[in-house]
Amino acid sequence: MHDKVSNNVQQNLSTAKDEAATALISESSKRSGHKIVRPTLRIVLMLLCLIGFVLSVLPWGRAIARSALLLPALVAASQPAPLIANGETVVHKQMTVPSRSGTVYLDVYEPDAPIPLITSARSGVLIIPGAGDNRRVPQLINFSEALARTGLVVMDMLTPTLINYDLSAQDSDAVVQAFQKLAHLPGMEGRRIGIISFSAGVPLACFGSADVRIRDQVAYVAVFGGYFNTQSVLRAFGRRAIDIDGKTEHWQPTAVPILVLTNVITKAFSPDERLRIWKSLAPGGTPLTHTQIAQLSPGAQAAYQLLTGSAPDKVDANIAALPSTIQAELSKLSPSRVITQIRAPIFLLHDRNDSSLPVTESRDFAAALTRLHHQHDYVEFHIFDHVQVKSDLQLNQELTDGTRLFTILSELLFTVS
Amino acid sequence: MLQLSLVWLLIGALIGLLTDVAQLRPATWMRLGWLLMMSIGAIAALCGGWLGIWFLGKFFATAMALWIAIAGVVVLPRGIRKRSQ
Repeated sequence: MHDKVSNNVQQNLSTAKDEAATALISESSKRSGHKIVRPTLRIVLMLLCLIGFVLSVLPWGRAIARSALLLPALVAASQPAPLIANGETVVHKQMTVPSRSGTVYLDVYEPDAPIPLITSARSGVLIIPGAGDNRRVPQLINFSEALARTGLVVMDMLTPTLINYDLSAQDSDAVVQAFQKLAHLPGMEGRRIGIISFSAGVPLACFGSADVRIRDQVAYVAVFGGYFNTQSVLRAFGRRAIDIDGKTEHWQPTAVPILVLTNVITKAFSPDERLRIWKSLAPGGTPLTHTQIAQLSPGAQAAYQLLTGSAPDKVDANIAALPSTIQAELSKLSPSRVITQIRAPIFLLHDRNDSSLPVTESRDFAAALTRLHHQHDYVEFHIFDHVQVKSDLQLNQELTDGTRLFTILSELLFTVS
Repeated sequence: MLQLSLVWLLIGALIGLLTDVAQLRPATWMRLGWLLMMSIGAIAALCGGWLGIWFLGKFFATAMALWIAIAGVVVLPRGIRKRSQ
């Protein structure tokens, strides 16, 4: 009986000990859990506070914030939900301004909100999209709207010359007029404005930003898929080859740049010769026969051979055989002519496998800027078809080129943030 | 804007709650202190968001709401406690 009671007491004691030990262990594990959770949360809060502060208050932080939401819009060619939800509501307006080369058509995408008190939070971008009427091109609209959602006033400009797939150095006045119009829009006084140009818009951006009327106000010049020297472009077209990375590569241009170049280098010929060359080079056109080529003037024969790439060994001789007015026009249309007069930093972007304008042009441009010690940056991509994002991209391509695009976008936007 | 304001309120309340869990609440605030922290966070975020719109535009307003909410829930309770002492 006595033993039984003592056993019970002992059992109760050991249970109580176990419970106390369990409670102690759980308390200590709770404490150690708190020890981890508390400092972790404090660090998280501190980081969040720092990130929020940097992204809104510091200019380079604002540039990063803009680039971070612009990048998916560019790579996916559609605006991501966070940009739409967090960005400004965009208003689209159309207007025109007169210039020496005719009416300039302007499409303005701007935030539909009062102008913020901090000047650098709202700046402007003038976009020169290239040859043809690109106003309804979805990727251009997407790009313009995405920029406007980040608080920028975006103006896309187009000239009658560009609409007709042609180039004229006189259009530099159109750039100046458009730039000044943008600078005088309500709320834009004293704000920084950059120029972004694509393809055939590149020479115009360079000429405009070298113009004494605006060159000190241009915040930056971004040139995407452009060219540096018209003669070297013509040489690449004539050879159907480019010299790159120490070797010669076959290079086949697409129809649009051939059309633009045809319009540029056939201006001095008779209307009949122009029409014959133009018809033979148009999509679906029939190439001229040897007899038909022989009937052309020597200059027109040279132009035809350059445009078709039918005499790759005679390229230099053919360029020399072009009429002197065309030679002068080619020199006038080269951004290399005005490079020393541009004050703004230049950002060069080009796809490595561009089949509209050879990548070697942007490489030459970058090399010339390096020689001049002009502030610039140059990035090559693999995700673009000339200046539009390809649709069937692999993740590693998106990541590699996305990082490059993010870096150059941040640099570019930092100049106006 | 109403939608965005609600988002800021939510962000602020969440930050208030996190601050409470991180034991950044004044020790004297025992009963319903967590609710007070959430309220301070929400109000600070809302004010930060609208200040962001005013100074920088809508695009940067959420980032502004975020850091002002955190700064608010850390600084304001201490200020209130000091005044009440």
